[in-house]
Amino acid sequence: MPDRSIFSAAWLLSGIVLAACGGANAPDPMPVDVEAAAQVDSGALLASACSGCHSDQAGAIASLANYAPDQIQSAFQRYKDESDGTTVMHRLARGYSDEDIALVSAYLNQTKHTP
Amino acid sequence: MTTSLNRRLLLQGALAGTGLSILPLQALAQTRAAIVIIGGGFGGATAARMLKRLLPDAQVTLIEASARFTACPFSNLVIAGIRPLALQEFGYETLQREGITVINGSATDIDAASRAVTIENDMVIPYDRLILSPGIDVRWNAIEGYDEAASRRLPHAWKAGAQTALLRQQLETLENGQSVIMTIPPAPYRCPPGPYERASLIGHYLKTHKPASKLILLDGKDRFSKMDLFREAWAEHYPDQIEWRGASDDGTVRRVDPATMTVFTDFESHTAAAINVIPPQKAGWIAERAGVADATGWCPINPLSFASQLQPDIHVIGDATIAAPMPKSAFSANLQAKICAIGVARSLSGLLPASTTLANTCYSFTTPNKAISIAGVYSNAANQLQSIEGAGGVSPLGAAPSVRAAETAEATHWFETITQEAFG
Repeated sequence: MPDRSIFSAAWLLSGIVLAACGGANAPDPMPVDVEAAAQVDSGALLASACSGCHSDQAGAIASLANYAPDQIQSAFQRYKDESDGTTVMHRLARGYSDEDIALVSAYLNQTKHTP
Repeated sequence: MTTSLNRRLLLQGALAGTGLSILPLQALAQTRAAIVIIGGGFGGATAARMLKRLLPDAQVTLIEASARFTACPFSNLVIAGIRPLALQEFGYETLQREGITVINGSATDIDAASRAVTIENDMVIPYDRLILSPGIDVRWNAIEGYDEAASRRLPHAWKAGAQTALLRQQLETLENGQSVIMTIPPAPYRCPPGPYERASLIGHYLKTHKPASKLILLDGKDRFSKMDLFREAWAEHYPDQIEWRGASDDGTVRRVDPATMTVFTDFESHTAAAINVIPPQKAGWIAERAGVADATGWCPINPLSFASQLQPDIHVIGDATIAAPMPKSAFSANLQAKICAIGVARSLSGLLPASTTLANTCYSFTTPNKAISIAGVYSNAANQLQSIEGAGGVSPLGAAPSVRAAETAEATHWFETITQEAFG
């Protein structure tokens, strides 16, 4: 069964793994996309707070797997901007910077598995 | 992953910039690092699964004293007789299938200097990184007379399982008209709104089955989590069932006498047919043994990776930590586990932990069909956990029943998701 978690090893720390694959036989320092790796890590850290509630199963809490790529970010941003909203997601979204929202949305889109 | 040349940096150069050695990083791809996790609750089980995903070649070992885990969230519904205890139980089969070694035993000692855990005074397991998720232990005799023997007559039911069943059974055998007492400690303790959810659901049980009975809450504080929402619900649903007395109304319990089923405050004594003592607590005892608990009985951590402030190679997550303003909740433990796992993986590859934004959500049932929630958002930047202002907060007061019903559905979905993420 494929690992459907948003924390599959394929994505997490992928930049670091890329760097380390050379092993003992690699004479030269391996190139690593440090910036990209840092973004994946930032997204993974932020997404850690999502996966306790949001699963692949749609229900009373939405499944993020059903969102189109640009929808996660716009929905998250809308929760943040609706100042009279009282749901849990409204209350949570107000604590995230626009940058956080962009990073975690990008991460969730990248790691989304097609069924 | 897409890369472009101008974003590519030579590893050595990048690491030189941060002052880190290249050697730990090379170890990562084939890391056979031994990572040991003690405690198989929401924190420990999540950490084990997350680390196995991050570092598939690492040797991940989970040590847990119980063959199966019994979850506290939703156990107040069991106490009220509207949910079977069996739905609270989770096994470790999925973790084993994923390649995690699960040892059913108690860790009895930790040697931080030689990095080894002793199990049942017998087996010794070395580790490269140790994560403790030991939950809570009761501070026996912090309330005079409340020791382990007393808890078999006056259950705490603050660790789910046999204690939950015992409190349920005492409510069942209660005669209509007999009263129930619950004692509630000052903060910090596991699940800040938990006593008040329990009071609500016991109130529901009494109203439905023992309408002449009353529940008296003796509280060691004057303010509590979701207070206005709980009091609104009690006034609406349980005006004849629930009486709450705070610390400034002589609510602090000093002593219990199991023989006479009496509890003593500073100025009064109260007797009841059933008494639920929610006692003062501390980090699970192995934390003390590992040298990661301070004089408060709880564990100071570095919130970037949940590394102990007292033992650098040991991480502590969940209820045992000093992580305020994050509450001691299943949500917090599960999230801290993931952040800790990423921190451990980064550390094994020579990278420093990175800061992020954290959150918490806790739902509480006020009736079987109504729930309320509290949410919080936190930053761990500057090596300190701080609430983000303007975010978080509780459900609205005076909301329509449909709003409360929607939060019961969310709560149920949350429980399914978080237990699935922790236990598979």
